[in-house]
This record gives sequence, C-alpha cells and structure tokens, in this order.
Amino acid sequence: MEPEKFYYDNKIVRNFGIATVIWGIAGMTIGLLIAIQLYAPGANMHNQYTTFGRIRPLHTNAVIFAFVGNAIFMGVYYSLQRLLKARMFSDTLSKIHFWGWQLIIVSALITLPLGITTSHEYAELEWPIDIAITIVWVVFGINMFGTIIKRRERHLYVAIWFYIATFVTIAVLHIVNSVEIPVTFWKSYMVFAGVQDALVQWWYGHNAVAFFLTTPYLGMMYYFLPKMANRPIYSYKLSILHFWALIFIYIWAGPHHLLYSTLPGWAQSLGVAFSIMLIAPSWGGMINGLLTLRGAWDKVRDDVVLKFMVVGLTAYGMATFEGPMLSLKQINGVAHFTDWIIAHVHVGALGWNGFLTFAILYWLIPRIYNTQLYSKKLASFHFWIGTLGILFYVIPLYWAGFTQGLMLKEFTPEGQLKYSFLETVLRIVPMWVTRSLGGSMYLLGVVIMAYNLTRTALQGKLVANEPAQAMALEPVSSVKRENSWHRRLERRPIQLMIAALLVILIGSFVELMPTLTIASNIPTIASVKPYTPLELQGRDLYIREGCLGCHSQTIRPFRSETERYGEYSKAGEFVYDHPFLWGSERKGPDLARVGGKYPNAWHFNHLMDPRLMSPGSIMPDYDWLITQDLDTTTTIAKINAMRKIGVPYPTGYEHKANNDLDIQAKAIAADLGENHIKVSSRKEIIAITAYLQRLGVDIKASKTAGK
Amino acid sequence: MFDQFVKNVSGEQMYLIFSLWIFLVFFVVVSILLFITKKQHTDRMSDLPLEDGTTNSIQNLQL
Repeated sequence: MEPEKFYYDNKIVRNFGIATVIWGIAGMTIGLLIAIQLYAPGANMHNQYTTFGRIRPLHTNAVIFAFVGNAIFMGVYYSLQRLLKARMFSDTLSKIHFWGWQLIIVSALITLPLGITTSHEYAELEWPIDIAITIVWVVFGINMFGTIIKRRERHLYVAIWFYIATFVTIAVLHIVNSVEIPVTFWKSYMVFAGVQDALVQWWYGHNAVAFFLTTPYLGMMYYFLPKMANRPIYSYKLSILHFWALIFIYIWAGPHHLLYSTLPGWAQSLGVAFSIMLIAPSWGGMINGLLTLRGAWDKVRDDVVLKFMVVGLTAYGMATFEGPMLSLKQINGVAHFTDWIIAHVHVGALGWNGFLTFAILYWLIPRIYNTQLYSKKLASFHFWIGTLGILFYVIPLYWAGFTQGLMLKEFTPEGQLKYSFLETVLRIVPMWVTRSLGGSMYLLGVVIMAYNLTRTALQGKLVANEPAQAMALEPVSSVKRENSWHRRLERRPIQLMIAALLVILIGSFVELMPTLTIASNIPTIASVKPYTPLELQGRDLYIREGCLGCHSQTIRPFRSETERYGEYSKAGEFVYDHPFLWGSERKGPDLARVGGKYPNAWHFNHLMDPRLMSPGSIMPDYDWLITQDLDTTTTIAKINAMRKIGVPYPTGYEHKANNDLDIQAKAIAADLGENHIKVSSRKEIIAITAYLQRLGVDIKASKTAGK
Repeated sequence: MFDQFVKNVSGEQMYLIFSLWIFLVFFVVVSILLFITKKQHTDRMSDLPLEDGTTNSIQNLQL
C-alpha cells in the first residue's frame, strides 16, 4: 500500500504565534502599568479607564487568555497535526477559531476598562462574551475531534490526552462558573450568592490554572521537548500516571483559596489534603521532562531553546511545590491576601508559561519559515534578561509578602496592634518598585524576541502547506484485538474524553454539591436584610471600579484581624451577595465591617482624594464618582433579577424602588451638606457611600437587638 | 437521598476519608494497568513525536 500524501497547515500556527507575541506584549505592558500605580497612583493618568481596579482584570485576562491562550492554540495546532499525521479537520473552522478568539480578546479590551465586569476573577467578561467564548470553544473542539477522527495514527500520544482533558474540563468550568442571570445587555448577577458563589468561583479559578495554564502546557511539553532534544520522553508510563493522577487530584484543590473563610470546614480540609497530594503528579511531570534531557545536558549549554525549557520546568517544579505549602493553614494564615501569592503566581506564569512559550516560538518559527533563527545572541540575551527579570520580580514580592503578613499580625506588649494597615503598605513600597524593574526586564526580553522572530520570518518564507506522508489507517475490523484496557482507550478519543470527564466530575461533585444543596451548611442570620436600591446600585459601582482588587470583604478568625476589622465573618452575612465580593488581595484594608465606622463626609473626601484622610495612601482618586450621575434606569431590572435568584424583595417593590433610592440619596446628600459638602443626590458617590455604610451593619444590628 | 446520606455521616471526616479512598482505588487501578502495559507499546508511543511524516529537512535543524 502506498503512503498517502497530505499537507500540514502552518498558516494557522503562524497566525496564533503572531497573536501570542502581540497580546503578550500588550498584557505585560498593562501589568507593568498597574505595578507602577501601586506606588505612583497618578500613573493612572487621572483617567477612570486606566485605573488599577479596572485594568487589573484586563492584565490577568490578557496574559491568561490572550497570551497563553493563543500560545496553547499555536502549540496544539502544530503538534496535533503531526501526532495524528493529518491536516486540521477544517481550515474554515481554524479561521473561525482564530478570529473568534481575537474578537473575544478585543471585546475584553473594550469592556473591562469601561467597568463592565462580573467581578469573578479570571471570568470577568459579561454574559454575551461568555456565550461567544462557549461558541468559539466548541468550534475548537469540533476542529480538534474532527482531526482526531480523520487521523492516520491509531493511538493517541499522551500530549493529545492533555489537550482532550483541557477541552472538556474548561468547558465544564466555564459553563458552571458563568451561571448568571442577565439584567441588561452588559450586566448580570451570579445565580449563586456568598459562600456558594465563592466556592464555585475558586473551584473555577483554581482549575483555570490547572486546565488552562497547566495541562495544555504539559501536553506541549510532552511533544516539543522530545522534538527539541531529539530523543523520546524519559518514561511514557510515568506520563500516563502523571496524566490520570494530575487531572484527578487537581479538581479537588480549589477550596485552598478559601481557608479560614466561612466555607464549611470539611471543604477546606478537603482542599488542603488534595493540594498536598498534588505535589506527586506535578513533580512526576517535571522529573519526566528534566530526565528526558539525560545524556543531553551538553546540548543545554549551547541551545537557548533547551535553556528556556529547563528554566520553565524548574519554575513549574517550584510553583507546584510552593502551592501545596501555601495551602497549609499555618502558612496560608500569613501569606493569604499578601504579595506572597502574587509572587507564587508569577513564578508559574513568567517561568513555566512564559518560558515554555518562548522556547516553542524560537523552535517553531524558523521551521515553519524554513530558515534559521535570525540571531542566537539576541535569543540568548532574552533568556538571561528574562531569567533575571523573574528573579527581580519574585524575590521582592516574597519579601513584601513576609514583611506585610508578619507586620499585620504583630501586637505591642500592651496587647495593641503594632502597625496600622497603611504602615504595612508603606513599608513594602520599595519592594514594589523593584518588582516593576523586574517586570520591565522581562518585558524588554519579550520585545527583543518579537524583533528577532520578525527578522527570522522576513529572511525566510512561510511554508503555509508543509508536505507530509503517512500510511492510511487500517480499517478497525482488521486491527488485532488489543488486550490492554488502556491501549484500547488510547485509540478511542470519545471514550477517553468521557473517562477524563468522569474523573473531573467526581471531585467536582463531592466538593460542590453539599455546599450548594444543603441549607444547614449556610446558617442564616435573621437580621441580615437585602440591600436597599441605592445600596444595590452602589454595590454595582464597587464592582465596576474593581474595588475588590485591593479590598477584601471577609474577616478571618484571627485576633489580628478581629482587632483590626471587627468580628469575624459568618456565612449567613453573604446570602444576598450576588456575586460574593471577598476579594483575594489586600492592598488596602478589609471593608467587611466598614459600615458606620466613618461619617459620610469621610467617605466623600476619601474617595475624592484618599491622601486627604489617609496621608501616604496609595489609593487612586475617584473624583469621577462626584461628577457622574447615577444611572437609575436599571433599578427595576436589577430588583427583578435579584428577586428571581432568591433575594426576598416584595412583589411590586421594583416600582417604588427608585422612590426609596431618592429618599436615601437625599438623606446622605443632606448629611454631607451639613458638613459643608455640596453635592447632588443624583451623583454616583452618594450610591457608593450608601453601600460602604451598609457593610457589616446588619450583624451589628443583630448584636444590638440581642442586648 | 443525598441529603439524608450527608446528614447521617460524621461530617468532615467521612468526606475526607471517602475522597481519599476514591483516589486510592483510582490510583491503584491505573498503576496496575501501567504495570501490565508492554514495553514494546510504550516505546512505540514515546517515539511518536519524532516521526511526524514530514519530508522537510528544516524540521531537524538545530539553533
């Protein structure tokens, strides 16, 4: 039988490669801008659309879904065709996938600075874009499975299993975490509230790291590292064990993001136990990668691509050891909400995702352009400046994390808190300055790479359709029956997908269902009432401005926190919080009990210029809240939507809601007037002040009534 | 039924132990499958990335 001749589609690989580089530079530049704003708030250019709270999600979305996302598709489209010895199923679907994904990124670039956000971390995009993401993801899935079906290689290599697990798990995570009720075209409320919403969000958030930043990259590692080193993977058996153990364990670990919160204790313990177990498969993968280079370490000395891979794998090992350590309650108690977590995340993002992406780009672009790399020296410079950039980025942040975490817990011999929150922030400003230097170095390396790759492409010519040949698959009926269950599974993609789906659903079900379905897991508090219409509008402004990027709303049961912020949080306090707003960082103090702590005038002056009330504060001015009118045309729709998801507003209340809103707004404006602040009751600052004054008040009312 | 099950077990201990047992059983099954997998097959599988069917010499270039 003659081998069949066919062509690999390199054009789609090239397109995703270009998008990777462009969005990488954009996302990292935004990251640098927000890093600078932490010590120079004026770097927001006194513009609401470029202020920290609004563009922090733009940075995370850009680097995760634009930079890493495009890199995944580049790597998958290159390796999938070659491992299956088939061209992609449909060039049209490839194009729809590419342009659809870029359109989603552009929509994020527009909506997030406008403050259009769900507030769920790494899932901020609003519901119309969520639907678009679903459609494009399905297109990707059809194209991938179509290619698998028309393959010329019967057994699926382990890299493809990782791609299949990525596809199916991201689909499940995205759908469950996007269960929201539309209010307007650009506004929705999460169906789950408070602790339930938090659990769903961090089940998603943690597994977005697992199945978007890890499994597809492991798949690419299993394909590209053997190609780069020109030798097979160290242990194929280990890769099988790695795959099944990793996807099984990862899905359970999400609750470690909610330690010491109001999440039921058993769920927290579950998250910790599985986080510790996660070290084993993660390190199994890292060791399998590094040992692939056994006998070839001399190549690492000369080959910059392998240098990137080795540092990338080492960063993966460091991040996956540190993650479980951070999930230990004793360590988490200090590290959570501090820069320690930001450092941990960036060891993975800059080292693992970044360096693997650069290695693949340096290896792949010359090949699809049928030429040599333009400059090895520039690539080597990129490697060293990138490595130094990572060190200059993470070491100061670890230092800042330890410093602030410990300062916040320190008491005087008299039993008073030793440092105010602001003192702990000002102490770590030098570390933030050094971090932005590290980020600049890393970004410079990427810009140099972009130049190097552009010159490489210009000196070669794209092999858009690369010729290849392979024998056609024998009909299944003529294939000898295989005794091994796993060997049979390896040639059945749909069954493999179902098996992967079952594996991730087991953990998801055990972890999520009890908290979502059993009322006793969330004890209610009689004094906790729904927000007034003005407070509800103010809460949506809080979401729009991304305040939760710096302020948490959950007080952990530590003396250092209850002394500083008030009584520790209870699950019943958040039953009307659609979505929950606990946050994950504290660049500013917790606000869970800020209601009634300061007069209205304090909030007005603080939002207008934070340094008036807190000298040295790093919070940006929110002066646009004073000039912009509150949009009350949405009040009826908001009340109706909230009622549909269980908030007990009386029937017909939506029609008198704006009247109540006016009354409360006028009372706040009058109070400000008595303090010589003239402001219209229609301004946004009135609504956000109303919301801040409500935080934590209900539980105080409960105590007062009890006395 | 699920509600009743959860009320009758002793809370967090049962959840943890149940979850760890699920994993242990799963892990042992996968390990046994790996143990009985033939080396010939794993060698063939691990060579797949190196045999991509291209005739383009550039695929083998070194930087």
